Amino acid sequence: MTTLRGTAVTARVGVALGLAVAVCFVTGLLSHFIQHPQPWFAWPTRPVWLYRVTQGLHVASGIAAIPLVVVKLWSVWPKLFQRPVIGGPVRLLERGSILVLVASILFELTTGLLNIAQWYVFEFYFPPAHYAMAYVAAGAVLVHLAVKLPIVRRALGEPVDDVTDGVHVGPNRRTVLRGTWLAVAAATVVTAGQTVPVLRRVSVLAPRSGEGPQGVPVNRSAIAAGVLATARSPRYRLTVTNGARSRAFTVDDLRALPQATYRLPIACVEGWSAEAEWTGVVLVDLLAAVAGSPDADVRMVSLEAPGPYSRTVLPARHARDPQTLIALQLNGETLNLDHGYPCRLIAPSRPGVLQTKWLSRIEVLP
Amino acid sequence: MTATRILLALAGIGVGCYGAVLLLELPTATVVRVLTWAVVAVVIHDLAFAPLCAAVGLAGGRLLPSRWRSPLAVAALCSVVLVLLAVPVYGKPGLRPDNPTVLDRDYPLGLLSALAVVWLCVPVYLLLRRLPVRQNQVVDRQGAHDVEREPPTV
Repeated sequence: MTTLRGTAVTARVGVALGLAVAVCFVTGLLSHFIQHPQPWFAWPTRPVWLYRVTQGLHVASGIAAIPLVVVKLWSVWPKLFQRPVIGGPVRLLERGSILVLVASILFELTTGLLNIAQWYVFEFYFPPAHYAMAYVAAGAVLVHLAVKLPIVRRALGEPVDDVTDGVHVGPNRRTVLRGTWLAVAAATVVTAGQTVPVLRRVSVLAPRSGEGPQGVPVNRSAIAAGVLATARSPRYRLTVTNGARSRAFTVDDLRALPQATYRLPIACVEGWSAEAEWTGVVLVDLLAAVAGSPDADVRMVSLEAPGPYSRTVLPARHARDPQTLIALQLNGETLNLDHGYPCRLIAPSRPGVLQTKWLSRIEVLP
Repeated sequence: MTATRILLALAGIGVGCYGAVLLLELPTATVVRVLTWAVVAVVIHDLAFAPLCAAVGLAGGRLLPSRWRSPLAVAALCSVVLVLLAVPVYGKPGLRPDNPTVLDRDYPLGLLSALAVVWLCVPVYLLLRRLPVRQNQVVDRQGAHDVEREPPTV
């Protein structure tokens, strides 16, 4: 009987898990700083699919981490019951740091997985909690690496299986590692189709099939936003302001302006994305009507009642981009009410939650 | 290496403490829920999930012919992962009537199909192992010390 558990397995799965956590942490930070702009942080508008890739990676690496955590914890589980249970202060400190590590990682993976399925059973506002615990988890990983570095280096230099195990039939440590990589592949294939179109049919556990009105899924419906009446009202106007200057446009006014069509992805923070053909007025042209400066940030205000995402600020870099549209059409049809009729913002390389729908005001900020 | 380890540890403590500060800035009720969630997750893993997996593994190791154990263990691991990923979507608990584009798949069918594919791989793998591909098996069973002798110098 061979022992399947061992440092050889723990270290190798640990390296893979460390990589997954690092990718998840960095892509998560990028998404956070795009949504909470910092003076030292600038997010580019090209390539237009950049946010689609980083946020797709964020969710994919988090999901890939699930089998890695399962196997890694399995490989060290008996250590939980080692005597003495408490021991001296050093041992207590080590156990404490592992508790923080495991608890924060399990917290991040479970809440993230529930959040992409929109099952808010944890009953707290997800983004700030997920964000704060990400630092706790990242810090705990670094401390863990500092403690285990010599063991990891030694284990990676040694063969996976005992050499005396040569004639052994049945699972060995190599089987465990192969099984782990297969489980990571399986987890990825059954979920990644919500952002990788070629996998759409086989991603049987993805929270979204990619279907939706006009071929694009919806995150916030017109009903949920409470804009059914105001969006369809004949008195609807899109007001564009720059200080004292102000212009109001009816839907017909907007349609009469020169139209541009671009293929741009819409990429949700929840990890799904879809490419679509958007047609509308280039934002720069609209801002020119009120003599807006190309160096000014622009506030987008929705018909939706004030809330966390009903008004967003578009950085100047995105506002002056020639592909940033105030879209009136999606895939050749008048924008569906759930996609933001009468008009919505669609800018390259931005989180979907900041592509404000049901626009009522566009304000050039001083 | 000692310097690297000290730097890693200091960076880790710094980053972790920053996270703790961010966490404590949240409303107290949220902090309590977050910490409860994290601790309960550990308890569920350590005292329910892990023992259950260990028991199944132990029973499998005793009851199954050794030739079958590898593919069955891998299939079991993949199944566990698939079931975990299915938890938040299976019964569509997050479904809201105003948005039919979320949770819009047949998840019971999806999970069943994925499990079927995984378990179908087991007999396929066992059959393929029976094919005469002995060379691989020989190499597989060799250890690091099974090195052929150097060829004689000409």
